[in-house]
Parts: sequence; C-alpha cells; structure tokens
Amino acid sequence: MKETRLGGAFVVFGFMLVIFFPAINHAWSAQEEKLSAGFAWKDGAEIYAKICAYCHEAQVGPPIRNRELPISYIRTIVRNGNRAMPSFRSSEIDDESLTKLADFISKTEAQH
Amino acid sequence: MTSKYIALPKSVTEKVFDAAINDFRSVLGDAAVLISAEQLAPYIKTMMPVSDAEHAPSAALLATTVEQIQKIVGICNRYKVPIWTISTGKNLGYGSAAPAERGQVVLDLKRMNRILEVDKDLAFALVEPGVTYQQLDDYIKEHKLGLWLSMPAPSAIAGPVGNTLDRGVGYTPYGEHFLFACGMEVVLANGEVLRTGMGSMPNSNTWQVFKWGYGPYLDGIFTQSNYGIVTKFGFWLMPEPPAFKPFVIQYEYEEDIVEIVETIRPLRISGVIPNAVVIAHALYEAPVKARRSDYVSGPGSIPDEAVYRIMKDHKLGIWNVYAALYGTQEQIDVNWKIVTQAFGRSGKAKILTEQEAAEDPAFVYRAKLMRGEMTLTEFSLYNWRGGGGSMWFAPVSQARGSETLKQMALTKQILAKYGLDYSGEFIVGMRDMHHIVDVLYDKTDPEQTKAAYQCFDELLTEFSARGYGTYRVNTAFMDKVAETYGPVQRNVHKTLKKALDPNGILAPGKSGIR
Repeated sequence: MKETRLGGAFVVFGFMLVIFFPAINHAWSAQEEKLSAGFAWKDGAEIYAKICAYCHEAQVGPPIRNRELPISYIRTIVRNGNRAMPSFRSSEIDDESLTKLADFISKTEAQH
Repeated sequence: MTSKYIALPKSVTEKVFDAAINDFRSVLGDAAVLISAEQLAPYIKTMMPVSDAEHAPSAALLATTVEQIQKIVGICNRYKVPIWTISTGKNLGYGSAAPAERGQVVLDLKRMNRILEVDKDLAFALVEPGVTYQQLDDYIKEHKLGLWLSMPAPSAIAGPVGNTLDRGVGYTPYGEHFLFACGMEVVLANGEVLRTGMGSMPNSNTWQVFKWGYGPYLDGIFTQSNYGIVTKFGFWLMPEPPAFKPFVIQYEYEEDIVEIVETIRPLRISGVIPNAVVIAHALYEAPVKARRSDYVSGPGSIPDEAVYRIMKDHKLGIWNVYAALYGTQEQIDVNWKIVTQAFGRSGKAKILTEQEAAEDPAFVYRAKLMRGEMTLTEFSLYNWRGGGGSMWFAPVSQARGSETLKQMALTKQILAKYGLDYSGEFIVGMRDMHHIVDVLYDKTDPEQTKAAYQCFDELLTEFSARGYGTYRVNTAFMDKVAETYGPVQRNVHKTLKKALDPNGILAPGKSGIR
C-alpha cells in the first residue's frame, strides 16, 4: 500500500503533481473489480413506488396516474422539476427508465 | 459566436475547457459527460432566492469508480477546472444538486451506488455515495437483517453519505448522524486514496467498528469541507428494538417551550428518551393537514389568531413534541412512567400515543421518521407558500428553555418583518438543539424572493451578533456564515485547503473555503 501523506509537501511540489498523475493508481482501486454491480431500476412501477408515490399518492403532490398526461410532459417535469417538485437527474432515473416511468404514469389502468 | 457550454468555470477559457472535456470523455465515455442545456437542466433548479443562473454548472460528470475519480482530479489539476461533488443531489433547501459557483463542473456520484457491506451482527454498513436510504432500506428488509436506519425527512431520495458529510440529522436514537460515522475512503486532490481510521492498515477488519484509528482523527475534516472526495463511507445501524412507542406531547402557548425544554433535557441526557426529539411549532406541522390560503390571504406573515384557529381545527399544539421509547416492553413501561410523570407535573401537557393519534397524518409521518421508515410527507411544507422557495435557517441553541424562547421570538420577529411565517422546530441533541426553520417563500414572486434573501441575511446577522452560530447553510450564504466563526478558524480552514488541494480544484466555496 502506498503511504498517504498529508504534509506540506503538496504545497512545495504542487506544480509537479500533474506529471505524476498518470502513475497514481492506488492499491485500493484494484479491489473494485471484485465488487458487484450497482443498483438499476427494474421497471416504471418500481420507480413510481420508490420515488413518485411518496408525494403523489400522499396528498403532498397532485395525483398523476390515470390522467393521460403526455409522456413528453412527464419527461420535462421530471428533468426540470416544477415549483416545489425537485428535478431528477439522468444519474438517478436514466433515460430508458424515465421512458418506462412516463409510460407507467400516463397509461390508464384498466377499469373493471 | 455562441458557446457550446451553458457556463464556463471561473478563469477557464473555452479552449482550455474543450481540452478538459475531451479528457473527461476519454476517462468516462461520451455518455457520462454532460454539457448540453437539456442534460444539465436537473442540476440547475434550486430553492434558493437567487437566480439559478448564478449556480449553473458548466458540465456534469457521472463517475462510477474510484479509479475514474482519481483520473478526473488529475485532469482538473491539469486544467485548473473546479469540480463540485454531489452524491444523491437532494440537499434541498441547502443548494440541491447545483454547484456553489457558476461554471463549476458537477461530479455526480449518484451512479456509484453499491452497498458494499451490511453486517448484521456488528450492525454497520459500508456504502458508496450514490446509495439512497430507500435502496439500503430495501436491502436490509430483503435480507431480513433486523436493522433500522436513521434518516432526514427527504429519506427515500436522499442518502447516508451526503447527509452525514453535510452533518445532517435524523430522528431515531442514531439521529446525530456523524456521531455514528465509522470510516471513510477519500480520494484526495492529488489522486491518492486515503482510508481513515483503521482502514489505513492493510488487512484490518476493524474499519467500521473503531472510529479513531491512530494519530489525529481525520474524518471530521472531510465533513462540510472540500478537502477530498468521499467514495466509501461506513456507519453504524441501530438494531431493531423489540418494542417501539412513539408519542406526541402538545402544548398550547409559545412560552411553554421553556417548560418543554427544561422537562426534556434531563430525560434526554440520562437516556430515558433516547431519540432526537423534535419540538415542532404548529406552523411546521400545519401543512400536512391545512392549506394556508384557507386561513389567510394577501401579503404578510400569518397572524397569531389564524395560527390559533389552525391549531383548533386540526388538533395541533402550538408546540408538538415528538419522541419515542425503544427497547423491550418492560423497559418502555418503566420509561413511559418516568416520561408521563415528568410532563404531567404542570398540567399543561396533552400526551397522545398511537392509541389516540394513529389516524393523525402528522403523527403518522413523525412516527415513521422516528423508526427510520421512508416517508416524504414533510415535503408538505413546500405547499405552504408554494412556488418552490425554501431555505433552512439552522442556528444551534443550548438545550435550555430560556434560550429556545429567545431564539424563537427573534426568528419570528425577523421573519414577520419580511412577511414570512415561522415554520420552525427544535431537534433535541444531547445538550444542544438544532433550531431548524424552513424559510418558505414563493420563488415565482420576485418581490417575495427578494424579501426572503434579505430576511435570511438579517437572520444570520442578528443571530451571529448574539453569539448564535449556524450549523449548516445553503450555498448562497456559505461565505457569510464562515465569516461569523471568525478569522482564526477561517485561516486554519484555508491552510488545510492549501496543503491538501493546492490548485483549489475541489468544490471551491464549500463552507466558505477556497
């Protein structure tokens, strides 16, 4: 393991750091390979339940399901936010998942 | 000629930035380097009373590995490009996902979202920055680990790394989150990777169980700071207790805060009440049940008479003390007797449990927060004035009744001057109180937005003049708060910054540090 130093040496040799960057590859990062993959959304229903429903099914935000809201409108609101509603980044809800979410929200549930 | 960027970092030309972007792309791939206005739109929306353009990023980088981050800081040093790191990006009311300064590149770690370890026996977790409380809660339930989370009100969409690094709080016995942090991995500005505490020792298996390591304790300098990029974070979890008893104690008059605090303090310090108790004003709870427009119209702050009507109509106290007991039923029975005796003494308190309040939406969401269950019901606050304006004013108070009354009165007076309401609560620490006030305003109304800015500025000025320090603040006011802590601390912060990040590439401006 490479020793981590927190001394004043960085100030003195700061201008030289650039030269050494390509060589820096700490032992810890080698362990990354062994670890499992990160989280990914399963479908629109899951995103709705784990994010949207906490407000839109709880009288905090307006109901949005079964209103035939246009998919493009849903996408715009999710990405830009709307007044008090926060925006959601593609790092949180990727574009493909957002399409599934918009489809889930806009689709009218069968009425029996 | 129009620029291909919506903003540029301070003192960086477009040509130099082009080169930096090319290098970022070579590390992350094109799809993980965002520069278009459409891609960056979600990073721009804030709840602060300043133009969102002042906090527009020049780009966003979606990194997923430590190695990528090491390379990114190398590029930043080469081109003197500053990065603003976010995890879940839901620091709502404190700056959201936007950088402190226009043109900074957002390093977005949301996709770095692996739960690396949850140990059932030792009750700890090790996670990456993008892990949300929801994700961790699902994991714990799926694996039947019998552990509880402590999280802030934006629970499901926020995460433990960002919240703890900004020294946020929750509502369980583990509510002072940084007290329960144990071990970090940090990418330094020079690209080296530091593991704090026991994590620095090869083959150590005590990284998440012993906080202090050997030598000076370093974890603290990576909170509310810009000295490194935390890429792994360990913290302790609370074993699920056999029994849980949430309750609320209501009081009718604002002056009763003195009695409340004097009664709670000994119970909290002795551990009879173990959790981060909340003393919420009626206007903090009202949005869950009532609409402001049903009680008042026109400009100005809500009159006391209207607040009184809300209390009566919606069964709220002017103060609502939410707390809980945890443990075996026998332990709870003993402590419940102590609690009811203490609060019953003056005859002013109305004590309610799940038996009486199970259907009350304010009680329901507070009970969820006190057992670490996901809820976003507190976002009802944002409907109070509407328009998406919110700033958390967060001065620290002694847990002493006379002090809380003084702080409440001063806050209310300044808010009223600007036509804003007192939506406040006190979160009881061990010996302190986080006095948390949501300065709510309509951001679509330019006059109200201007008033909110001036109001917040005056709150900070007046509180610091009386020796009341702010524990956390939004990105528009970080310099002002840093000033209130005096030149010596500021110089020490700056000295550390120069030593650890000589090119100033990491989040310049965070906590006023450059």
